[in-house]
Order: sequence, then C-alpha cells, then structure tokens
Amino acid sequence: MEKLTHDVIVVGAGLAGLRAAVAAAEVSSKLDIAVLTKHHPLRSHSVCAQGGTAAVTNPKDSFDLHAFDTVKGADYLADQDVVEFFVKKAPSEIVLTEHWGCPWSRTPEGKIDQRAFGGHTFPRACFAADMTGFHEMHAIYGKAKSYSNIKFYDEWFATSLITDQGAVVGLTAIEMKTGILHAFQAKSIVMATGGHERIYEFTTFSHTTTGDGMAMAYRAGVPLEDMEFVQFHPTGLIPSGVLITEGARGEGGYLVNANGERFMKRYAAEKMELAPRDVVSRAEQTEILEGRGLQGPYGPYIALDLRHLGEEKINERLPLIRDVALKLGGVDPVKEVIPIRPAAHYSMGGIKANIRAETPVLGLYASGECSCLSLHGANRLGTNSTAECLVFGAVSGEEAAKHALAAGLRELSQEKLLAEEARVSAIAARNGDERISVLRDKMRRIMNEKVWIYRRGDQLEAGLKEIRDLKKKFVDISVEDKGKQFNTGLLNALQLDFMLELAEVTIVSALPRNESRGAHSRVDYPKRDDQNWLKHTLAYYTKDGPRLEYAPVTITKWPPMARTY
Amino acid sequence: MGVETEKIVELTISRFDPETGKHYTSSYKVPVRKGTTLLEALMYIKDNLDGTLTFRHSCRMGICGSCAVNVNGKPMLACYTQVLDLKENRLLIEPLSNMRVIKDLVVDIDPFFEKLMKIKNYLVKPEAEFQKPHEFLQSPEDLKKFWDLTLCIKCSICYSACPATIDERFLGPASLTANYRFIADSRDQGGSERLKPMADNIWLCTQCNSCTLFCPKLVGCANAIVDDHSLLVETGDIPKTVKDVLESVYKYHNPMGTNQSKRVDWAKDLNITVFPETKKADILLFTCCSTTYDARNMEIAKAMAFILAKMGVSFTTLGTEEWCCGDHILRLGEKGLFEELAAHNIEMFRQFSAEKIVTLSPHCYNTFKKDKPYSDAKLNVVHYTQFLAEAIKKGIINPAKPVNRKVAYHDPCFLGKRNEVYDQPREILRSLPGLQLVEMKRTRQSSFCCGGGAGRVWTEEAESEKRPCVDRVKEALSLGVDTIAVACPFCVTTLEDAVKVLDVEGKIAVKDVLELLREAI
Repeated sequence: MEKLTHDVIVVGAGLAGLRAAVAAAEVSSKLDIAVLTKHHPLRSHSVCAQGGTAAVTNPKDSFDLHAFDTVKGADYLADQDVVEFFVKKAPSEIVLTEHWGCPWSRTPEGKIDQRAFGGHTFPRACFAADMTGFHEMHAIYGKAKSYSNIKFYDEWFATSLITDQGAVVGLTAIEMKTGILHAFQAKSIVMATGGHERIYEFTTFSHTTTGDGMAMAYRAGVPLEDMEFVQFHPTGLIPSGVLITEGARGEGGYLVNANGERFMKRYAAEKMELAPRDVVSRAEQTEILEGRGLQGPYGPYIALDLRHLGEEKINERLPLIRDVALKLGGVDPVKEVIPIRPAAHYSMGGIKANIRAETPVLGLYASGECSCLSLHGANRLGTNSTAECLVFGAVSGEEAAKHALAAGLRELSQEKLLAEEARVSAIAARNGDERISVLRDKMRRIMNEKVWIYRRGDQLEAGLKEIRDLKKKFVDISVEDKGKQFNTGLLNALQLDFMLELAEVTIVSALPRNESRGAHSRVDYPKRDDQNWLKHTLAYYTKDGPRLEYAPVTITKWPPMARTY
Repeated sequence: MGVETEKIVELTISRFDPETGKHYTSSYKVPVRKGTTLLEALMYIKDNLDGTLTFRHSCRMGICGSCAVNVNGKPMLACYTQVLDLKENRLLIEPLSNMRVIKDLVVDIDPFFEKLMKIKNYLVKPEAEFQKPHEFLQSPEDLKKFWDLTLCIKCSICYSACPATIDERFLGPASLTANYRFIADSRDQGGSERLKPMADNIWLCTQCNSCTLFCPKLVGCANAIVDDHSLLVETGDIPKTVKDVLESVYKYHNPMGTNQSKRVDWAKDLNITVFPETKKADILLFTCCSTTYDARNMEIAKAMAFILAKMGVSFTTLGTEEWCCGDHILRLGEKGLFEELAAHNIEMFRQFSAEKIVTLSPHCYNTFKKDKPYSDAKLNVVHYTQFLAEAIKKGIINPAKPVNRKVAYHDPCFLGKRNEVYDQPREILRSLPGLQLVEMKRTRQSSFCCGGGAGRVWTEEAESEKRPCVDRVKEALSLGVDTIAVACPFCVTTLEDAVKVLDVEGKIAVKDVLELLREAI
C-alpha cells in the first residue's frame, strides 16, 4: 500500500475542517498539512448553513447572556466551561472571516448586521442574507488555498483511523479517481467530518454527510458522547426535507396549523416561533399527531407563513429560501405558505473531545458537528453550530499543530493496514442479494418511525432489533460496480456500513436515558430527571455493540433550573 | 402517501467506463411525479435499475455545485431541475462539455479550480489592516455593488458552456467574475495586482453570454467580464490588437480604420438613397461597419438592397453619418467611446425620425435594444431576419428559384442567446425551394459561438485548434453539409476564416441567410 506522510491531516473540509487547516498553518509555516475530503471542499454540507452565526458584538449584549442562552437551550447538559470559552471566542472568528472577504449583511452604519434567532435573548446572529454557511465556506476556502503548506486531497474517502497504544498514527483513504487505497501517516489528525443525520428518512442533510468520521473514531476506540441527542429542525421543506432557515422565523415568519392558528402560543407563549428548536419541533409534532396538521399529498404538514414580510424583505433577507421554495417546493413564499415539518438536522452528540478539541486518543482531535465537546448539551441553539465550527475548528487546528511540532511520527502497523485493505476489498467484492439502497432506506425508515422526536422505550427496543438485523444483512449486500475508478457503489456501501453503526449507537444511547431532556423526548418519561440523568452518555465500541459509560456535566455558573420559554 | 406518477420519462445517459475506455449509452425508464428533480431521477436509476451509474451529488438544494450535467445539450444542476418542467418524454443526459470525463457523468473539475486559484480569492489589503480587531466597515449600498457576484457556487457550468475555454489560457467566466467580485468590493485594495492574472487572456471572451444564460444562480458573468475589460482599458494594459480596434473607432468611428466618406461605397452601383438628402423612407437600414467596409460582407448589404427593392420597400441609410453602433466597443470595455458613438447615432435617428430601423448585424440590433443610452431612446428596431420572415409569410417576397444546398444554420449569439431570435432565420431558410436544412448538434440556446464577439473578430491570436470558429466548422463538416448559413457578418468572417484554416473551401461555404435568399429571387 502506498504511504503518504504529513504532520497534520484534517479529515473533512467543511467549516470546521478548513478553519482547522488555516489555524494549523498559522501556527507554523514549516508544518506539512493535508486536508482530506471525500468531495471537493466547496461541496461540503457547511454550504447549506443558512441563518447565521452567533457572536456577541453589540455592547448591549453580553458573553454571560449568550452563555446562559446556550446552557438553557442545552437543557443544562452542556459543559459550561466549554460554553464560556466558546462565547468569548466567537466574535473574533466573525472578524476573521470578514477580513478574508465574507460578504456579511450590514447595518446602515456599515457594521455586521445581526438578526434574532430561536432561544437567543438578543439578536446576535451575524448573517450573510440566508447563505451564511455558504459565504463563510467560500471565504475560508479562498484563505486556506493561499497557504503553500496546506495540501488538498479532494475526493479522497477516508475509511479508517489507525491507532497504536492509545495514539493515532495515521489513516487509510481511497482516492476516488483511481480507486486505490492509500495509507497516510501523521503526527496529528483532526476529524471534522460532520454529523450523521442521513440515518433518517426526513432530514435537512446533504446526501454525502453520512457521519463517516464519527464511525471511524468510534471503531478506533474513541467514545461517542451524547449520541441520543438528535436535533429536529422545525422547518424541513416538504417533500425533500431541504432546510428552510430559522432565520425565516427570525425575520418574523409565522407557524400556522390547519385552523389557521399560530399554535406556538400554546407551547411557548413568550418566545412563540422563536423558542428553541426542540420546543418548536415538539409543538409541530403534537399539532400533527392531534390532527391539526394541514393535509397534503405527502401527509400532514405545518404552514410557514412569510407573506406578511412582503416581497422586498423576502428578496433581501431570504433570497435563497424563496428560490428553494419555488424550485423544490413549488410555492412562492411571497404569495403562498411554505409546507414544512420537523426534519432531522443536527447531532449534538459526537466524538468525545475536551475544551482543547482533544479526544481520548493522543494526537486525535475533533471539531464541528462530528465532535461533542459538549457545547450544545441536549439541544443546540440555531447559529451556534457555524460559530462552533469556527471557534473549535481553530482550536483543533492549533492544538493539532502544536502536538505535531512536539511529537514524532509513529510506525503504521502493517498488520492493521492489511486488515483494512481486506475489509474494504471484501465489501467491494460482495455479490449478495441485498441492495444497498434497500437496506439504506429501511434504516432510514426505522429511524424515522422509532427514533424520532417522541420516543418510547419499547419502540426504541424494537428499532434497535431492526437495525441490528440490517447490520447482519449488510454482509449480503451486492456492490454492482466492480470497477476501481470512481466507484460510487463501493462508496455507498462503506457509508452505509458507517451509518448502520451510528444508528445502533444512537438507539443504544437513547434507550436507558429514562427522562426527557432537550431533543430527547420520552413519552414514557416526560420529565427531566437531574437526579439521575444530569450526565453525559459515552458509547464505546465493542464487537457486540456499544458499551455505555457516563460522565459528569461541568457546571460553572448556571445550576439547572426549570426551562420555559 | 405520496404523489402519483404522472408519466414515464426515458433517460438516455452517456456512459464512459474508464476501465475499458468504452463510451456507450444506457437508457432507463423512470417514473416521474410532480416535484421529481432530475437528480432524484438519476438516484432512482442508481438505486433501482443500475448500481453502476456514476454521478456526483450532495446538497440537493442548488448550493454545493456538485451535480451539473448536460440535459438535451443544455448544462444545468440536476438537483435544481424539475423533470416535468423540461416538458420532454425523452432526455439525453451527458457529462458537462469541455471537460475530461472520468466516469459516466463525472468530469475532471481540477482545471476549473486550478484557474480559479490563479486569482486571489480573499481580500487584499496592507498587512497592518488585518491586525485590527474589528470588521472593515461596508455600507449596504457598497455590499450591493458586488453581492450578486458572490452567489457563484463554482458548479463549472459556465466554464463548460464557454467557447473561449477551449483555449486553456482563458481563466473562464467563474474566475473572471470572482476577480471582479473582489475588485468591486469596497474593502479590497488589490488594485492593479488583481488585473494581472487576466490581462493576457480575458480578451478571448466573446461575450456570447452562455455563462450568464446557463448560470443556475443568475450570476451576470458576461457583464462582470465587461467590467474587467473596462478596468484594463482604463489602465491601458491591453494587447495591441485591442488598442488598434479602439483607436480606429476613436479616429474613424468604425473599427475597420476606413474613412467614413467610404461608408456607402458598397452601394455605388446601386441606386440607393441616403440621409440627410432623403428625409423619409419606410425603413432605415442600419448597415453595420462590417457589411459596408469589408469587401466580402458588402455582398450581404447588396443582397439586402436588392431584396428591399424587389419588395418595393423604400429605405435609406444614415450614409456617412452612420457610425459604428459600438456593440463590440462596449463589450471591449471602452464605455466612454461607446457612449459617444451611441449619442451620435441616437441624434441621427432623432433627426431622421426613424420609424423603423432594420439592422443587418445582430450586434447593432442587440445594442440598440438592450444597452443604455440606446435602450432609453426606445427605438423601433428589428433584425433583418425578423423583417424578412414576416414578409415571406405575408407573401410580399416569393423565393422561387431553387437553392440546391444542404445547409446547417449557425445561431449567432447576439441574435439567439441574447435575443431569442431562433425561428425567423430558420423560417426564411425553410422557405427556399431546394434547400435542405439540418440542425447543428449544438443549436439554438446551446449554439457554439463562432468566436467573433467582443472584438475578437479583429483581435484573434489563438492557435487555430483553439479558435471557436474552427471547432464550429468541424462540427458542420461532421454533418455533411455544403453550406453554413449565418445571420451575422462577424460569423461570416470568422467561420470563413476557419474554412480557410481547415483548407476545406471546396467542401463547405459560409453564407449569410440574406445571400441565400437572394439566390432564390
């Protein structure tokens, strides 16, 4: 197997990955840095982030306010030291992206404008119309490409992390263009590969964001933290699930049921449509379950009404939403309501990492959605994720760079490389009776039906059994494409393998948590239980399935209180 | 739950197997309902019919730029295209043009991005500025000046549709647009540094408008390139060929560098009237510098005069008072000179009180209709193909003599892509007895530019294989036609030149539609 060596390898080239690469390059121009991504960086899911990036920039706002909003939004499961660090770092990240060219929307005075967002008590979402992630990505990509010591491996699919005695030593990756599996040796590796919500049927996720990095780290022995906490975004466009930004409600949009009622008044009288996402999604789901959804060809839905905002405001503040609604929903938001329902949107859980983005494996770092630091606890506030990608992307890159300057390369075990080569070749050679797409769709259906917004113990158990059945069936798949070059059939198989692993971890983590906290709502345990469950779930890989441990939550300033909006 | 299938659409997909080097096509029947995107149709095939079909995709919401393909010859994002909107029961899906195919619909995007990296995709300012802990101020008005150009998703559709990119020196529409996006950004101080990477290649742009026409984000690439041109013209850092054209127009009011007194020499054997002697006529014929000064293209003007006389239509020209319309000049970036030309012509139109202007060139037609200050003057202008197609329909002209030619019609960009005049030239050709009309593979909106626009007809310096006109004539030759018909004097010049370069003068002729019509009368 051909071996390539770098000091630092960043896996994933979304916001966190690119930010990590720039941060590492800034530490030392002598470092040899690689960014490895399964598609071109600008195809990363971060470009789909729409509404904004949270940062305290207004003197009337405060770090404590942002931190408290985040902690409360997290239903007190966030590690508060991480939150406090995060809110202080966010403003300078906004300035950096601005300096690189991000076309932020402006106030009449020429400063970066901010809008309101759910769960934030101050309008602190910096935004570039409704294409914030897209513009941040293009700005950082332009910057990252300007460093001569960052080498890009576009369309290289990482398949495994190689560790040795508690330290990461490298990884394996397939070059899509040739189909050849390569070994990479590195002193530090940053995982920035995004979330896993493609395990669900109705999701805002890009097709390619399949949680690979989480699964790779998990198999390499890193625990996945708080994986039961999956955020459902209140406004997934019907029928595709494409995101309609919370910014639409931030700008004043209404949510309306079949009776024409702004039903949020019964769930969050004060915040209404701008309550945090878990609250709004539960409200929508309740409306639908109780028969007050509007009826459409794809089943019951909720109406997002922007008509009163007027054409001018919609065009200026929400141009992408109008275009997407027209092209993919067949409705013009200026004249019609947008049909939406909750969609799987974000993983609060992920690769366990600390405030320095270090995982328990030496030399391995994680940032962005694939990581769990834990900043978002049981429920993330809108606009905190792009901010997290910037803040902790930078931290992970910097820490990885410092480690690489101090550490040496370690030998890649030939045995482990051969084992990975054998695993990938075996999957590529499979000629069984199961279609990859059928297994994938079954998995996604199970997750939608049994591990959705409202959960129940018996359903979770049934879902787990079904997912485990699918894992068994995976050995009987057929990879029809037998070519080497650009084999997307093999790619789909490897991604499905990762997703099945993550679906299992998600359910196993959810099962014992007999309480309702943030995005994890148990109809059989409708109350939050701080006595027993104010703790993080850690899922460790074993060949018989995840083994769970628990870790305490760091509380600094804000002891848990009742959470109302 | 769900929506019923509305119809079955057959997708024929161009395939390439890199293992065997074999190109082939596969056809699949796909059930389509309201809302089915082309990407969903492709995924339906991969999931249910053929797991080997290979294509890129990711965001499925038109923002990541992965899934661009050619559909019936037109490039578009598969995820942002509703199959029912295409209104076809059969679709031909091909990889993007101008790019090496890796497998099936996957093309090599590296050259596209390598060119993008030739410009600086970040703000340029003195280093000290970046040490400031706060944002650079920018008014909403200043943001608006470049905002639309920031919407480019780098899908490479423009690059694939662009005729100039067949010369690898050309940076391509997306890169040149990105460059102007930074130049127009009030925060940027890149200045002349930003002009360097494009100075020697931007003149290959023909302003055919394909980039803008097919951009899924409606980014005005072609206009951004004109703005880039203007900056280069301002600095004077322009090739001698471009300088010569501009100087000719400046001195003589035409790009040929010929004295205006010779403007009506083309008609010296004809009995035509000119302004200001003639104050009234049915139409004002705006002849175009090319058809009045270029010996070859005078035939086009003469054919028009002959046909108008046959029709019994009284016409006149502005004579020596006809100045270059300025279309090429505007698109070369010399906006001041363009305005001077326009002011003169508009004044002449006013003095003549022209009720109807007929142009021989699509370039004059386009600029009179679309560009200020002409467009403000609300001129009643038509291209001759529109005027004559109408006359034939009404029986005012009756083409009776057989024109025994097998003809491929080449859509001129300024008539087709920019003004959607696709049918009238074809109607004229179809009315000619004996003439067999064949369609080019790249036709109508997908027409491949002759390479003559934005002054390139006079500034051409690319190697012959990298000239769009040569590419285009090869395409016509592959159809086995003996004539390429055009409706633009600049297309005549470039394509005839390509015929000479390819040494196929005995095989194929280039004729203006007017000349063919003349043969039939």
